[in-house]
Amino acid sequence: MTDIDATFAAADAADETATLTPGQVFRRRMFGHTGFLIGAGLIALIALVAIFAPLLAPHDPFAQSLSTRMLPPAWVDGGTWDHIFGTDQNGRDYLSRLIYGTRVSITIGIGAATIGLLIGVTLGVLAGYFGGWVDHGISFLLTAQLALPGLLLAMALVFIIGPSIWVVIGIVGVLHWTYYLVVTRSATQRIRNLDFVAAAAASGANPRQIIWHEILPNLFSSIIVIFTFELGIAILAESSLSFLGVGIQPPTPSWGLMIAEGKQAMFYRPWLVILPGVCLFLLVIGANLMGDGLRDITSPEGRNE
Amino acid sequence: MLRYIALRGLLALLVAFTVSLAAFFLLNVATDPAQAIAGEDAPPEVVESIRARYGLDRPLPVRYADWLGGVMTGDFGESYYWHKPVATLVADRADETITLALSALAVTILIAIPLGALAALNPNSWIDRFALGVAVSAQAVPNFWLGLIVIILFAVTFPIFPVSGDDTWRHFVLPAFVLGASSVPAVMRLTRTGLIEVMGADYIRTARAKGFRGWPLLRRHALRNALLPVISVLAVQLGQKFGGSVITESIFAINGLGRLALESILGADIPTVQMLIFVFAIVFVAMNLLADILNAALDPRIRIG
Amino acid sequence: MLTVRMRSLCAATMLTLATSVAPAFAGKSDDTLRVAMAEEILNLDYNYTTKREYIILAQLTDATLFNINPQTAEVEPSVAKSYEFVDDTTLDVVLRDDVTFHDGSKLTAEDVAYTYNWINSPDSESNANGVVERWLDNAEVTGPNTVRFHLKSVYPLVLRDMGARIMLRKAGSYDANGEIDRDAMASDLIGAGPYKVVSFEPGTELVLERYDGYFGDKPEISKIVVRNLPDIGTQQAELMSGGVDWMFKVPLDLAESLGATPMAEHLSGPDLRVGFLVLDAAGYTDEDGPLTNVLVRRAINHALNTPEMAKFLIGGSAEAIHTACHPAQFGCDQSVTAYPYDPDKARALLAEAGYENGFPLELWAYRDKAASEAIASDLKAVGIDVNLRYVKLQSLNQARAQREIPAYFGTWGSGGTADTAAIARIHFSDSDRNLSGDAELEKTVLAAEQTNDPAERKALYSEALGHIADQAYWAPLFSYSANYLVSPDLDFPLDPDGLPRLQNAHWK
Repeated sequence: MTDIDATFAAADAADETATLTPGQVFRRRMFGHTGFLIGAGLIALIALVAIFAPLLAPHDPFAQSLSTRMLPPAWVDGGTWDHIFGTDQNGRDYLSRLIYGTRVSITIGIGAATIGLLIGVTLGVLAGYFGGWVDHGISFLLTAQLALPGLLLAMALVFIIGPSIWVVIGIVGVLHWTYYLVVTRSATQRIRNLDFVAAAAASGANPRQIIWHEILPNLFSSIIVIFTFELGIAILAESSLSFLGVGIQPPTPSWGLMIAEGKQAMFYRPWLVILPGVCLFLLVIGANLMGDGLRDITSPEGRNE
Repeated sequence: MLRYIALRGLLALLVAFTVSLAAFFLLNVATDPAQAIAGEDAPPEVVESIRARYGLDRPLPVRYADWLGGVMTGDFGESYYWHKPVATLVADRADETITLALSALAVTILIAIPLGALAALNPNSWIDRFALGVAVSAQAVPNFWLGLIVIILFAVTFPIFPVSGDDTWRHFVLPAFVLGASSVPAVMRLTRTGLIEVMGADYIRTARAKGFRGWPLLRRHALRNALLPVISVLAVQLGQKFGGSVITESIFAINGLGRLALESILGADIPTVQMLIFVFAIVFVAMNLLADILNAALDPRIRIG
Repeated sequence: MLTVRMRSLCAATMLTLATSVAPAFAGKSDDTLRVAMAEEILNLDYNYTTKREYIILAQLTDATLFNINPQTAEVEPSVAKSYEFVDDTTLDVVLRDDVTFHDGSKLTAEDVAYTYNWINSPDSESNANGVVERWLDNAEVTGPNTVRFHLKSVYPLVLRDMGARIMLRKAGSYDANGEIDRDAMASDLIGAGPYKVVSFEPGTELVLERYDGYFGDKPEISKIVVRNLPDIGTQQAELMSGGVDWMFKVPLDLAESLGATPMAEHLSGPDLRVGFLVLDAAGYTDEDGPLTNVLVRRAINHALNTPEMAKFLIGGSAEAIHTACHPAQFGCDQSVTAYPYDPDKARALLAEAGYENGFPLELWAYRDKAASEAIASDLKAVGIDVNLRYVKLQSLNQARAQREIPAYFGTWGSGGTADTAAIARIHFSDSDRNLSGDAELEKTVLAAEQTNDPAERKALYSEALGHIADQAYWAPLFSYSANYLVSPDLDFPLDPDGLPRLQNAHWK
């Protein structure tokens, strides 16, 4: 979980920051950061595809046609340009399903990363601020959470509540708050001992006010960075759960589910597995590059090399 | 020190019990073990007789207490599915998973450390960018998908390795690569930042002044210090490999603990799930403990009280 | 199309190369049939197991009193030479005198009586106990080669149960020296069937050898090796490299792709398994729910394009069905009401029932994902807002036992029994699978089991099935086909009941 605290930079231009306003620094850093630009570009592109899916998809992603099932892509013999990426086991247009899959992935990514944020930041700030038994209790929760098989939790929850995209968001969110916790806990511990917090406490502010007014604003940028990373992690988690059959339920077009469905025939129809995987890869790499970039941009010294 | 280890061991046990309690109730709510044992076409009277035979008709708390009582005397019960003591079952399967986890760790080390070192020695060069690219990509690839792709590539299109199984060392090459790849980004980034930091330290400057250059400098002075934190991260990653073995072992049909965990969760084989949770939780906590101890032993600044 | 085939051929060739490091066996040259099974084989005693794999093995290792001829579905003598009903509840059986167990000892009347009485006793905890205990009072030795069965009640399927469920054991097999050992035959099995166990490693490999003392027709192949290969991809690779000669339960797409290559032959045979939707007509999940309305249930029947599903998703000899039983089963009257595919009519019926805007429906399923999705899609097309819940079987059964399932896609193989009783009783009498809530129907179904007169049984089943169809308690879908991939050297005859009988295989 602590794997993302080192940074890389491609370009370099952060020496003359002294003479610029913070906004100008931010913008300059942002546009000078190739990785960030690529990542943000990918995310923006995929978000646009998700928003305009009905306009872009050549077919209804749910419309089945059993007599034309398992068509190969257009460039393989037997394929037609009507179904550029062929059809799946129920004769549904693969390209349209991939396009609508962006909606599933993005919704789950944002939703789950938000839930994880709420849980992780709350626990992290509480543990960091109060320390002592609160801290011990939350650390125990953290260890227990890391040891619990997510698959089991997912299976039980999907069964009890019934599967829907919201349940999957909840499950993935509940499984991914540890990174927020670890970072905000140590940051809170640090901030707590700073002079201005002590001053606020001395002037009679209660813990709630201190947490809301003094601590949380200072955590904001690191939370945004984690959120971006967690977006990618949540999308991967959903795809794994769907791949194992305990995530998104058919016939919703989820890329993980599509990979699972294509697995059986992968020696003969490898595109069924390759295409959704490439989509997942692009989306997640976009989120990661953006996260890397954001961290470089928001860190005080530009990049922590 | 001993007290610290004992405390952490106690914590591991506490975690294992909490998680196993949660798992026990989750599994019982979501599935009917008697039906899982009986099979698809079993008549209801057969299912009922199985329920009675395995004591599944008793209330949940009684059954959990029963299980707990067994565990206290070192008896983890008998697998519903395999009709064997779970402890034997787990012991039989453990070597495959240990082999896989260790070879995956070897893959991680072989890829991540040289790449990280090269990147650190040539910051902002093409090799640095290549290393960055590898790290970002490896983080964005869904593990299960990478598994399928390497099967298509290296077992089907270029038939170098077997598709699946666990008979010879050749069977472990692809799964170890897939499982190892997931740890490459973390370890590589840490190696790189660690080295860059160390290279800037005074004693390296002194060594440089004495005429050490390139590899000898790296080997005799820099690498040792830079790798201290990497070693403890490797311990944590090794712990995670056990959990990560679930998907990898299933895809490559390796008869280890990960696959056993997946099958017993999906097949409602409660005693097996319970023991595996124990094993995984303890391995996880033990590896974290090992990381802490290594940190303390290798870094004179840290003292564990 | 030709190029597609060439491509798959290439892929297949490469796959063979990939596995060619493993020693390539040719089954024919050493007269050994190598069989792949995904399900782990853990216990060889079918008296203590239930799954289909175990039935297949029991056919090889065990003998029963009667045989059910898969072609004619008639009961034929086996270990029993003849039988006679003294009265409705007393059955006399005469045994052959040339049957021996695999350890060479002679099978006696004591052995037969012991087996039945053991399984019938609650102490046995046998998986067959529930079946036998229903009708057997006790078995009594009446002579060196005769056994008398005292029945609790009239039960027409006695001979079938005897043929299908009770594997004969030596007297004292399970409680030698007064100590009960239910696993006594689990791995060191002593049966009386055409093959004997040579070695057995649970979950890995079982080796069988032809038993020369077998009383019946001796099989042609001298050795059978059953290998547990849980992954279908592994099975496929092994088949192509010659490590396996026979695999079953093959998904249609895979069977067709690989069957198109010279490395394997795709066989598709009939199967007694049928697929169907069970609808909560009784209103267990929602007292006044839409499914309690017969018009809605008929609409659902009309909405499903079952012929297309059978043809494209199940394949082989699968066909659409309109009865709550397999057409090949005794008593499965085909003249009952049918609801042909007609989405317009379905919409009209829904409107007539007051659901012109459809309604939300939770549909559960546990196998054949593509078919499950096709059903959901067809129902959506007529306006029913289906939420598909595709889960593991044990999860579905758990929810059904708790009366939480409004509709599910079920399948039933009738244990290979070509009689409507094998499907009607469990689905339309006292069981949580019965969502009809129809007490009259239950009476009819049970009455059909209380008579031995075929004509009367037939009439009762016609009545029950006609009622089920009129009330549309089910939406019958399709029959299944069994897909096999076998080595090109192997001749493997298929039986109409869908049970693979490896003892009938021979080399070309």
